[in-house]
Amino acid sequence: MTALALDDVTKSFGGVTAVANLSLAIPAGRITGLIGPNGAGKTTVVNVITGIVPPTAGRVTVGEHDLTGASADAVARRGVARTFQNIRLLHDASVLDNVVIGFHRHEATSLVANLCGLPSAWRERAAFRARAQALLERFEMTRFADARADSLSYGHQRRVEMMRAIATAPEFLLLDEPVAGMNQVEADELGAIFRTLAEDGIGILLIEHNVGFVMDLCATIHVMNTGRLIAHGTADEVSRDPAVIEAYLGS
Amino acid sequence: MDLILSYLPYVDAICIGSGYALSQFIALRAGLFSLGSAGFASLGAYTAALALTRYGVAPVWGVLMGTVLATAAGVLMSVPLARLRGHFQAIATVAFVEIIVSLALHFDHFTGGPAGINGLPKLVQTWELVLFVAAVAALFAVIERTGIGRAFGAIRQDDIVARSLGISVIRYHRLAFALSAGIAGLAGGLAAFNSYTIEPQQFGFGLLTLAIGAVILGGRSSVLGPIVGTAIFVLLPELARPLAENRFLLHGALLIAVITFLPQGIVDSLRRRRAAARPARDGEPQPARTPAA
Repeated sequence: MTALALDDVTKSFGGVTAVANLSLAIPAGRITGLIGPNGAGKTTVVNVITGIVPPTAGRVTVGEHDLTGASADAVARRGVARTFQNIRLLHDASVLDNVVIGFHRHEATSLVANLCGLPSAWRERAAFRARAQALLERFEMTRFADARADSLSYGHQRRVEMMRAIATAPEFLLLDEPVAGMNQVEADELGAIFRTLAEDGIGILLIEHNVGFVMDLCATIHVMNTGRLIAHGTADEVSRDPAVIEAYLGS
Repeated sequence: MDLILSYLPYVDAICIGSGYALSQFIALRAGLFSLGSAGFASLGAYTAALALTRYGVAPVWGVLMGTVLATAAGVLMSVPLARLRGHFQAIATVAFVEIIVSLALHFDHFTGGPAGINGLPKLVQTWELVLFVAAVAALFAVIERTGIGRAFGAIRQDDIVARSLGISVIRYHRLAFALSAGIAGLAGGLAAFNSYTIEPQQFGFGLLTLAIGAVILGGRSSVLGPIVGTAIFVLLPELARPLAENRFLLHGALLIAVITFLPQGIVDSLRRRRAAARPARDGEPQPARTPAA
């Protein structure tokens, strides 16, 4: 089974080492957790995987494909999608259009056909809109289809971002604090969706502060502190690990 | 009839100016901070004019050659500029405009230097210019609604998001450069055969500010915006004759007023107001804040 793997990855910004010698695997069809206190380097891990920043050392691979240092769009075309910790929607567009853009990776119409407005371009536009509508339905967001993205509540904006990532039909999905600011009911609804996505074969990396939420969903949990992996294992193993307790509660 | 004919030069000026403004518009739509339209227009105009005066190439082919050359220059420019962002891109393209002006001034034995090229035949008719603007507007309307417009919009609003969805910013900026340059080059070529004469400074910083000014004034979302903006720039000095001497002062004051009071530009601001004034449809969601647990 393929996995998205980090092999001994280090990322330094000037003199600051945000991630040090990190190795972890995100297997397909599973939800893998990544937790750690603020500033542990979790978001940097996502940025390194997705090509927003290149790693200083180490390798990032998907199956046999080496993604180390690949551009962000090339990584996305390899089937790695993400959401952002600070929600990034296209504010000048409707909710539906924000989801439709996620399908861009599957565009089959050539530039020329698009420029000329050939029938294939319009067919594809209609198909993407229909698929986006279906996603909206699944997330119970249909009534917001025409609303401007930035007029939505925080929780709904998170859902839009997630639908956009799912629209890319990723093999791996990196969720950077997807339930931050949500209440327990909303979080549980999303948790159920993550489970179905994993059952569909998507490998999910779940970054969260809500430790209970992660423990509930993830088969394997990795714990980072100050850029290093300090523990990994099942929820039980991790929660008993003295290094983890110290990182979270202080010595 | 005579009255109508006497207005045709204004229509011509609005159409050619709209060509430059639409060239600027498509660059901005793609989140490309190119101010190079004036330089591409110069390439198109000089190529068309020199092809005829130096080599006797038929004007149709000259204009076509100018368009192709400008497009090629745009694609070429996109290679180094793909590494730059925002205002750095803008500065580089302003330099490009100035370089083109300098080249036209310097190689005077070939380009006619500061005096430019005179005695060009006036072959391009008003209806052809109207057709040109209509064709560009139609092209942009198609772009806006298909995959290219989708990608342009994503890049313009957040290029990190665009890239994280697999959109190649380099590829789409290359396309935007090609479109912007090709349209400006074509407008320049048409201008050369519409006004008897071209000279280097006509395609300098002044044209650059007019092109970007027309987009700011008219609006940068709707394709009508740059056309309305250009029309105002062309007609205003005529309507306010006593101020015609100070028309750049007038332009400046107008731009400041529009940026202050209609920040989306005239066309887009009016559209938004009309949309906002429309009564909400039945059952339209008024998304409320998620209630706290």
